[in-house]
Amino acid sequence: MSVGDRARDVLARLADASATERILISTAALLLSILVGAVLVLVAGRMTACTPNEAVYYFGTGFCYDPILVFDRLFLGALGDPLSGGWSPDGQFSVTLRETTLLIFAGLSVALAFRAGIFNIGTQGQMVVGALATAVAVLWGATLVSGVLGTVVLVPFGILVGAVFGGLYGAIPGLLKAYADANEVITTIMLNFIATGVTLYLVSGVFKDPESAANQTVPLPEYAQFPTVLFGGRQDFSLVALFFGLLAIAGLYYLLEHTAFGYDVRTSGIQPEAAEYSGVDAPRTVVASLTLSGALGGVAGAMYVMMILGTFQTGVPSYGFDGITVSILAGNNPLGVGIAALLFGVLKSGTTVVQFATDVPPQLVGVLRGLIILFVAMPEFFRLVGKRITDTGSRAVATDGGRPEPAAGSAGTSGDDGGESDE
Amino acid sequence: MATAVHLDGITKRFPGVVANDDVDLAVERGTVHALLGENGAGKTTLMNVLYGLYEPTSGRVLVDEEVRSFDSPRDAIDAGVGMIHQHFMLVDPMTVTENITLGNEPRKWGGLAVDRAAAREAVVELSDRYGFDVDPDARVEDISVGEQQRVEILKALYRGADVLILDEPTAVLTPQEVEELFGVLEELTAQGKTIIFITHKLGEAMRAADDITVLRDGRNVGSVKADETTREDLAELMVGREVLLDVDRPPAETGDVVASVSNVVVDDDRGVRAVDDVSFDVRAGEVFGIAGVDGNGQSELVEALTGLRRPQHGRIEFLGDDVTTDSRRQRIEEGMAYIPEDRQERGLVMDFDLTENALLGSQHSKEFGPNGRIDWPATRAHAEAIIDEYDVRPPDADAISESLSGGNQQKFIVGREFERDPELVVASHPTRGVDVGSIEFIHERLLELRQQGVAILLVSSKLEEVQGLSDRLGVIYEGEFIDVVDPDETTEEELGLLMAGEHPDEDDADVSTDATESGSAEAATGGDRT
Repeated sequence: MSVGDRARDVLARLADASATERILISTAALLLSILVGAVLVLVAGRMTACTPNEAVYYFGTGFCYDPILVFDRLFLGALGDPLSGGWSPDGQFSVTLRETTLLIFAGLSVALAFRAGIFNIGTQGQMVVGALATAVAVLWGATLVSGVLGTVVLVPFGILVGAVFGGLYGAIPGLLKAYADANEVITTIMLNFIATGVTLYLVSGVFKDPESAANQTVPLPEYAQFPTVLFGGRQDFSLVALFFGLLAIAGLYYLLEHTAFGYDVRTSGIQPEAAEYSGVDAPRTVVASLTLSGALGGVAGAMYVMMILGTFQTGVPSYGFDGITVSILAGNNPLGVGIAALLFGVLKSGTTVVQFATDVPPQLVGVLRGLIILFVAMPEFFRLVGKRITDTGSRAVATDGGRPEPAAGSAGTSGDDGGESDE
Repeated sequence: MATAVHLDGITKRFPGVVANDDVDLAVERGTVHALLGENGAGKTTLMNVLYGLYEPTSGRVLVDEEVRSFDSPRDAIDAGVGMIHQHFMLVDPMTVTENITLGNEPRKWGGLAVDRAAAREAVVELSDRYGFDVDPDARVEDISVGEQQRVEILKALYRGADVLILDEPTAVLTPQEVEELFGVLEELTAQGKTIIFITHKLGEAMRAADDITVLRDGRNVGSVKADETTREDLAELMVGREVLLDVDRPPAETGDVVASVSNVVVDDDRGVRAVDDVSFDVRAGEVFGIAGVDGNGQSELVEALTGLRRPQHGRIEFLGDDVTTDSRRQRIEEGMAYIPEDRQERGLVMDFDLTENALLGSQHSKEFGPNGRIDWPATRAHAEAIIDEYDVRPPDADAISESLSGGNQQKFIVGREFERDPELVVASHPTRGVDVGSIEFIHERLLELRQQGVAILLVSSKLEEVQGLSDRLGVIYEGEFIDVVDPDETTEEELGLLMAGEHPDEDDADVSTDATESGSAEAATGGDRT
């Protein structure tokens, strides 16, 4: 058996992995990435100078950085130290959940487009547009209502405005792709720049807060922001927003799996010719998916304004691009997006904890984060590759014929595979 | 005589499928060897193994009595094995000479430039030696399909091939071009070349080959000398039992016109006219067949009728309404079922399971997708009913379509489309690549629907199929209906000539009335045409 054939076999087996096997693979990948990361931390620690009593000692050798401490801070620190008593919901754990909430929306935005076979790199731009629209609309609305009623009215209103404007901004590349055959990767990247540029222009002009030196809008009044429930307000996290995020996950899952529109989207995504055959209006589906994808990005923008910042300011963090990673990590599955967003949220929030607690340079922490994501994403990536390869392989056979192997034989082999991975 | 190619116990497995099972094949030098078998018997897979495209799971490949292991076609070419695929690999805008020498051009100026004169000379010398009639300076896009095929053969010879594999070489040729090809093969073997040609047509194997090897279900079921066997024996070897070539077809009881196509003009993807002014009616309770060599506009015509392609001119009526601008979805809802030509591109979503595929085309129907919500339990029950009724194996609604064999995929599509309770069934090559048992089954079902008063449009390149099933038969050639004939009154030879674009009897009055029944529609749309 040649190397190529063996690689093909491995890929084919990966492509056939069951859900349980995939979770096992992901967990193993996570552990492996920590192991490799630990070695990196040790090596880096060996090459740095520090006083002997600052160093930790393993195998009789001194190292300047302690991998156990680093990973302890990265994970447990991000969760607000649940094991060491004195855990408060309003601590680092809130930061993690805050990041998770935004990443859920950004991830869902990318995932929906992916399922329709569209690579939406424009979530960032859609988020920026949604954010500014929300800020301006809510500031206007805040002059009409206030108090508890203000919160009840303005928060949903702000989300709606974010969704509408993000959606409209997503519809642009959708229309361009559907009716002018313009590649969405190019148009969405360009629209990201346009979004940043135009919002900068607006927020440094008409919508600028005259009292502030920064390019930002007038701050939203307290009652026009997400209410804090259970978690306290120090870390700008609102359980209500996370609840909306979970709702969005469930909603998108239902939409894709249980509605005719979702079926159209999924069919268009994996086999456009078959979608066309089944009566799907391809251009309309493209526009609808990108609009919906943009709307989810816009909601992320609304959350950013109404939960975190309390105003719109230029230099929106790159949640939209992180959303691409989250979506790929989740295999573009809405339910997976929840888990991937949490992992990503932990890593983002944990990074700051590591920097506070250790002397490890931020670049090295970035490397550790990258390693974890790379390791967890790779099996999924190779699974997709494997799928493509086995697809073409067996499709050649199907046109070409042959006779099916006895079912018992193939069931036996897959059973063996399961046994191996269990061990 | 020496053995040019010897395949020894070749087995090729794909996940879940044995494409070749312990196949032995010995080909004598200087002979034409036909590899005969039905679609899906494993012929192409076996030749792809010989040509280095697939690595066999087990078994040995011997060329000139030497064991060889080919990792790629390049290795095979180096060993003197060339293959001419069904779909030509030629660069259309380039000349014949450029195509033949591509990648192996004679060089001059120390390898810096292509020596065009030498290339042309080599091509002329080569085509003279084998008596090929090709113009070395013609562009490939300007020459006929038959000539393009000769260019492909020259390409292989130029690269030093001694053994030539031809994959279904006659599929795209007219009967006259087929004769020319056989002449070429004779000339090649006379000069010591060895030919292996893959075919599923008995007559061609008998006519052109010295030896015939029959494959069935991936196994070699017999190698015989062409002059020591009969068509009946070969047919029995191919299908494993005696074939009933006659379909029992009760007389048609035709009703109203269900679908009417008038003066339809359709362009293909490249904007080239594919269908030119075609008119016909399909009535309830009849099978209207369209016969023709593949690529004469059938696909475009069917796509225009089913709503996948907008015709340039003309009018399409369905159940008395003008549906020319209706979308595909509207036509499905109006009762048009469609078995597409390409089941793996269009007919099924390969990554979906059978339940999900049972929904394809019905996702917006009241039955399975009321108010935009999919009724999965009902869909699943529907999938199970199709599987049960149409004997789809494995009988598992959760099976991914891709894991099914071609025949079972097709049975599932046929079941899904027939169960739509359609007014019109458009069946495009409904039995292509399907095993014999399933072919009979699909034919029976089609005739059952016809008895129930469903209108059926049948497109097929299998002559016996369209001839056996159709009540009326339109013959299409280069986008035009050459004739509409009564299949029972027409011989296979006559049909062959018609398919080649030759009209035997120009004053056939019967035809014109048949083909353009809706005279007023023609007059109305006639002005549009330029």
